[in-house]
Amino acid sequence: MTNILVCDDDKEIVDAIEIYLNQEGYQVHKAYDGEQAVSMLKELNIQLLIIDIMMPKLDGIRATLKIREYSSIPIIFLSAKSEDADKILGLNIGADDYVTKPFNPLELVARVKSNLRRYTQLGNLNVENNALFQAGGLCINDDTKEVTVDGENVKLTPIEYNILLLLVKNQGKVFSIDQIYENIWNEEAIGADNTVAVHIRHIREKIEINPKEPRYLKVVWGVGYKIEKQ
Amino acid sequence: MENQSNQQNATEKGKKHKRGAGLKLLHLLQHILFVTAVLLLVVVLNRSYVVVDTLRGAQAYELTGVEENETFEDSEVFNTLLGNSISDIICFGTIRGQLETDSEFDGGKKVDVTAFAGRYNGVMSEYITAEYYLEDLIKWAQAGFDYERVYMSGEDVDRFLSRKRTVTKVNLDDYSGGTVSYLNTDLSSSVTVEDVSGNFLEEGMTDRDPADANVMNNRYHTVEGKNIEDYVSTWEEYYELCGNVKKAAEDLSTNYNEYIKYKDYYDLGNSNVVYVISRTIGNKTQIFSNMEIGSEKLSELKKELLEQCDRYVYYDPFNMQYDTNTLIEESTLRYILNGYEYSYPDNTQIMIGVRSGYGTKDCFYQANAGFGSFVPYIWQYLLCALVLGGVYLFLLALLTIKEGTVYRKNIGERRHRLHPEDHIPTEIMLLAGIASAFLLAYVGKRGLDWWLWNSAENEVKVILAGIFALVVSVLFSIFYYSFVRRIKAGRIWKDSLLYRLGQSVKKGVAYVYDCSAVILRVWIPYILLILLNLGGGLVIGNLVYNGGKAAFLGCALLLMADGAAGYILYRSALAKQLILEGIELIKNGNLTHKVGEEGMHGDDLLLARAVNSIGESVRTAVETSMKDERLKADLITNVSHDIKTPLTSIINYVDLIKRENVQEPKVREYIEILDAKSQRLKQLTDDLVEASKISSGNIVLQWEKINLVELLNQTIGEFSEKFEEKALYPVWNAPKGSVYIEADSRRIWRVIENLFNNIYKYALSGTRVYIDLEKIQAEGTVSQIRLSIKNISAQPLKVNPEELAERFIRGDESRTTEGSGLGLSIAKNLTQAMKGKFEIFMDGDLFKVNLTFPLLEEG
Repeated sequence: MTNILVCDDDKEIVDAIEIYLNQEGYQVHKAYDGEQAVSMLKELNIQLLIIDIMMPKLDGIRATLKIREYSSIPIIFLSAKSEDADKILGLNIGADDYVTKPFNPLELVARVKSNLRRYTQLGNLNVENNALFQAGGLCINDDTKEVTVDGENVKLTPIEYNILLLLVKNQGKVFSIDQIYENIWNEEAIGADNTVAVHIRHIREKIEINPKEPRYLKVVWGVGYKIEKQ
Repeated sequence: MENQSNQQNATEKGKKHKRGAGLKLLHLLQHILFVTAVLLLVVVLNRSYVVVDTLRGAQAYELTGVEENETFEDSEVFNTLLGNSISDIICFGTIRGQLETDSEFDGGKKVDVTAFAGRYNGVMSEYITAEYYLEDLIKWAQAGFDYERVYMSGEDVDRFLSRKRTVTKVNLDDYSGGTVSYLNTDLSSSVTVEDVSGNFLEEGMTDRDPADANVMNNRYHTVEGKNIEDYVSTWEEYYELCGNVKKAAEDLSTNYNEYIKYKDYYDLGNSNVVYVISRTIGNKTQIFSNMEIGSEKLSELKKELLEQCDRYVYYDPFNMQYDTNTLIEESTLRYILNGYEYSYPDNTQIMIGVRSGYGTKDCFYQANAGFGSFVPYIWQYLLCALVLGGVYLFLLALLTIKEGTVYRKNIGERRHRLHPEDHIPTEIMLLAGIASAFLLAYVGKRGLDWWLWNSAENEVKVILAGIFALVVSVLFSIFYYSFVRRIKAGRIWKDSLLYRLGQSVKKGVAYVYDCSAVILRVWIPYILLILLNLGGGLVIGNLVYNGGKAAFLGCALLLMADGAAGYILYRSALAKQLILEGIELIKNGNLTHKVGEEGMHGDDLLLARAVNSIGESVRTAVETSMKDERLKADLITNVSHDIKTPLTSIINYVDLIKRENVQEPKVREYIEILDAKSQRLKQLTDDLVEASKISSGNIVLQWEKINLVELLNQTIGEFSEKFEEKALYPVWNAPKGSVYIEADSRRIWRVIENLFNNIYKYALSGTRVYIDLEKIQAEGTVSQIRLSIKNISAQPLKVNPEELAERFIRGDESRTTEGSGLGLSIAKNLTQAMKGKFEIFMDGDLFKVNLTFPLLEEG
């Protein structure tokens, strides 16, 4: 049984999240301010924490700082603050993920699953295999041509697979459309063409929880595409 | 309350009063000190000389330069007095020798008038003389000599002068030792009377010439009972003898007067001086002394003198002896004796002493008293005066510090305080001060002269000196402290007439300048300058014609005037320049710029101030509006946060309802509407926040090199599905290769995304969307890139292009379709933030957006 602590000063939101998580088979504990969350975390065996930022008594940021002193469980921020600066701050102080309100319930559940999987399975991966490429929760086994995200299999077309493999092999490097085209099709690019862009969008839709805010395959607008070095 | 404050005021007033009284007391003390010091000095001065009664009347002697432990006997005064006495006594001794026989006046003494009259020069070996009794001669001189004009015929002359003359031959025995011995031997024994006659006849002169003769009346007859004419035979001899008689008589009469004075003055009852003079002529010794002379010998007299006197002088030129315990030198004595050479033979002994104790009230007594009352105390007096002076200076310093300010307790600080006289113009005060000083100096000098030579009572002098000192002190205080107060209050310059005059002139000029019309302001100085130059030129020309240095000076003055005019023009031009520069800067957006107002006058100053104030108001306005925008953005952000929380619940619970598998088609439709609208609300909120942030300038751009071709390819790829869904066919024309611009990658994506979303929402299905990218050469040097996106609108476009990019304006006014109405506004603002140009064109149903960016050259 996986225990998840949900903390938000808005009771209805907590209740809604509980319903979604219960449906996925998680045990949900509820807290309504930071102090409560911190004390419950000490008492109970919690595997994941979803916490709001703007809360009475102790806000999410400070609560996270306290929790990080003794615990390394996944923490997902849930906040109405959608600025880039807020997200960067949240991730920098030790949160594993940042979901802005209003959120898509399915996305939240997917992120919870992803974070739990990464947290519990991270140590088991066999890195010695030369045909195995990994970027965070994204794994490509070039022998079996299998792609997994947080342990779940993803089905890709051969071109999509090749593009992803190229990007994962060169993590952090930005490939322009022309470069990708030349690499995959072994032909000279002909300019105004959006074939690659369409493929990339498809890959994103398959491997990302929220394709508009990709975690792995990022678009560098006006430059190209890359897999973020994890 | 009021009562209290009154009380406080009263006590404060009291304190102030007390304080003022203390200062007044100090001032008074200062005057007293000054007067006392002056009086001390007066006393010192007063006692620094002694006035003694001498034969020549009252004489003053200075006591300056004396040592503290000097005795009177070693002092200069004593020395001078003794010297005078010695001189007197030597003179007196001579007179006594002439008038006395055996220390008593002898009126019956016979005087050889010719020898006496010639006592300084000696006499001839043969001479004509007459002998008179001493008292006759004195009386004759006192009565005066009468002459009578007589006309005589030759016979009368012969009868009057006779043909005989009496010649006295000098007995050479008596003459050994010079005139002195000759005069002082018994004349009667040395004179032989010869009758010499017939000399004229022998020479062949038969008759005497008649004469108009000046005949002296024979008031007294000679010892032999004869007249003067009886001794002579010629007029020359007669007149010479008359002259000798007269001279001898007059000299003796004078000496007799002196004799009386000396005798009294140097009488032992009147004088502390004791003298013994002995002179030996031939084998006859005469002794003159003011001591009793009995049968004592000279040595005994000397011994007696030494007993009486501590200080003495002994001189014996014959034996070359000089002995003294005074400061009188031998040369002095010899010098005095030389004046009376005819009277003192070589064998002379002089001994003069001053009786110790000064029992007799004479000049020595007076001098000793004065000396004793002053010399031992002089240093005490001076020290005392010095101390008083020191205290005075200390008080002066103290009061200088204190004067002119007063401590106000109620405001807790020192304030300047001026007296009525401090408002008198500085120059007048200064002149008054200098005049007073000169007046006092003059009065002081005259007073000192009077004081030294006037015999008024000492008390009167001291009182007068005190009053004078007080006047000096008070006047000094008045002027000095007035200036101290003025300096402290910084009013020296401001209270001066010069300053007032300067201010008046300045005001007058400024008034004329400010109040006159522009025409006058410009033309009057101009005309004045021209006239000055013309006039000056004429004058200089004249001067040059006449020659001289004045022409040079005139030229210099004229040049200076022209130079000053030029400088004023330059200053004005400089001011204009500054103002223009300031306006330019402000125009270009430097709103904090200020035109320096220093050194500007008149119109320039007004102009500079106006420019500054305009700049300032513009700056304030801009700042206010920026601030307002920022506040608005903050407000919108906060409101959006508050909206998002309930919105989250709505979205979540709508979703939960959807999962409930509702079968009712109506309810399902409602739920879809709820879902769509809640999603739109979310979008609206996000867009609102973003739009407000962009328009308030609250975003930070991260500049990167962006390939527009790549960006368009990516975007078209992203939208491929959406466009397919609406049956929109993008027609994409790009130049070969890459097209780079400088922009923020996420923001430029946002611009394109918004435009594409716009097309997706409003374009007519089944139409083509033209996307063209082309380089254009603008008028400037920088090449530009233009992105043009065209589509056919589904709805007729009813708004004008400008309004479309404003916030909350949408193509369809019904507002039923999705979209916040902010998309184009955000796109436009972001484009402009990235230095691009955003233009909307509409032609019927054709909707076109042009984006223009400066092209980033390769490399």
